[in-house]
Amino acid sequence: MASRYDRAITVFSPDGHLFQVEYAQEAVKKGSTAVGIRGTDIVVLGVEKKSVAKLQDERTVRKICALDDHVCMAFAGLTADARVVINRARVECQSYKLTVEDPVTVEYITRFIATLKQKYTQSNGRRPFGISALIVGFDDDGIPRLYQTDPSGTYHAWKANAIGRSAKTVREFLEKNYTDDVIANDSEAIKLAIRALLEVVQSGGKNIELAIIRRNQPLKMFSAREIELQVTEIEKEKEEAEKKKSKKTT
Amino acid sequence: MAATFFGEVVKAPCRAGTEDQEEEEEGRRETAEDREVRRQLARKREVRLFRRQTKTSLEVSLLEKYPCSKFIIAIGNNAVAFLSSFVMNSGVWEEVGCAKLWNEWCRTTDKTHLSPAEAFCVFYHLKSSPSVLLCQCSCYVAEDQQYQWLEKVFGSCARKNMQVTLLTCRHVTDYKTSESISSLHSPFLKALKTQNFKEPPCCSLLEQPNIVHDLPAAVLSYCQVWKIPAVLYLCFTDVMKLDLITVEAFKPILSSRSLKGLVKNIPQSTDILKKLLTTNEIQSNIYT
Repeated sequence: MASRYDRAITVFSPDGHLFQVEYAQEAVKKGSTAVGIRGTDIVVLGVEKKSVAKLQDERTVRKICALDDHVCMAFAGLTADARVVINRARVECQSYKLTVEDPVTVEYITRFIATLKQKYTQSNGRRPFGISALIVGFDDDGIPRLYQTDPSGTYHAWKANAIGRSAKTVREFLEKNYTDDVIANDSEAIKLAIRALLEVVQSGGKNIELAIIRRNQPLKMFSAREIELQVTEIEKEKEEAEKKKSKKTT
Repeated sequence: MAATFFGEVVKAPCRAGTEDQEEEEEGRRETAEDREVRRQLARKREVRLFRRQTKTSLEVSLLEKYPCSKFIIAIGNNAVAFLSSFVMNSGVWEEVGCAKLWNEWCRTTDKTHLSPAEAFCVFYHLKSSPSVLLCQCSCYVAEDQQYQWLEKVFGSCARKNMQVTLLTCRHVTDYKTSESISSLHSPFLKALKTQNFKEPPCCSLLEQPNIVHDLPAAVLSYCQVWKIPAVLYLCFTDVMKLDLITVEAFKPILSSRSLKGLVKNIPQSTDILKKLLTTNEIQSNIYT
């Protein structure tokens, strides 16, 4: 009977579930999709943009946020929880830099965020953070990293992953299409992220936001025009591939 | 008298009876005022069926006035949106009646132009084939009103040669299963049918110990008693407000015999559905 064990975060159910944490993972599924890809020389974050009300300032509805010059993250889930986590992570990045005189590694800041999330699964009177995050960046050694955290406070390194609504569909697409050839080329990695999102995004390129980090370069957010160009290229390639297929069958 | 955990003294009812019993009975006897209040409340909660264009009420039950061979009933906003986009756009449907009812959760409106956000219960028949009847019910029909609704719509005698298809949604947390929550991929469809419904349903049957509630349960029970073939398609979803993915979960029903002839243009239906959703969208910034 789930209802007796899901009221308080600090209570395990007889079969070992922490229901509040599992319910927090359901809150993540209510957020729009975010995808992260780790290439050889590039890391890509793509998100499904939420439709913005006419009178709303678009700049305040961002799913991709920079944590430092070389690290950025995308989240899915409760907006307010994400804001709190991002603020804490940003402060930690600067505090670390001032203390140790080196920028944070991607793994360090991911572990910080994950530890913060885990604390909230073990305190009474608090609820877990209802967000999952994809954290990308380059370390000083020039190696690209992609990590994913979830409300339970676990974190793992990934080659490519998706979170939020329809994450399963996007992950399956990535499993089929993520190859070493694709990720060796920067523009192919970008196209892979966009193609993965187009599998689930309702109205095409205008609802996609994209950010990339290249080795030793700052975060770059793609403009709507640049994304449209990529989407047009992808559609052209798809048409050509279909033409070739139909030629082969005839 | 009993003491609670916090030390307060509470008067507990005594089954042995007390000296004060007679006084208590007097207090409980109904006054004329109570009866009047009860009468007014019953009148307020009456289910009325009428035609919006003429503002006249129906003297007989709806099915007596408009006998049909196919009766499709959508209950809830997602089911209503599904029928509006996929069934009602292919053909001309004429409104034949509207149910007006009041309860604590809904006050139905009788305006001529209804928005998707309002509560209503409207009946239509297909002009080109008047034996097909459709009901769009986006209001909550309370337990005490369900019998009245059934009487006013179905009447109190058996209907021959009729098939009823019901569509509704329920929250996935009401779905009882031994599997873990994470293995359920909502939204998903389950079917429950009466004994006389011989066609294979478009999805798997609803397993025990799950039960159906509210108006769909009342209609199914009525159909079972009067031996009318009826099937309920129940969509378990985690989004109870109007949602594209939930509405599209009803798509397998389009291949059923009752809906096959009624659906013509599916790509256009998807566009109509998207328009319906954008007009009804309340900007929510809780989830990003």
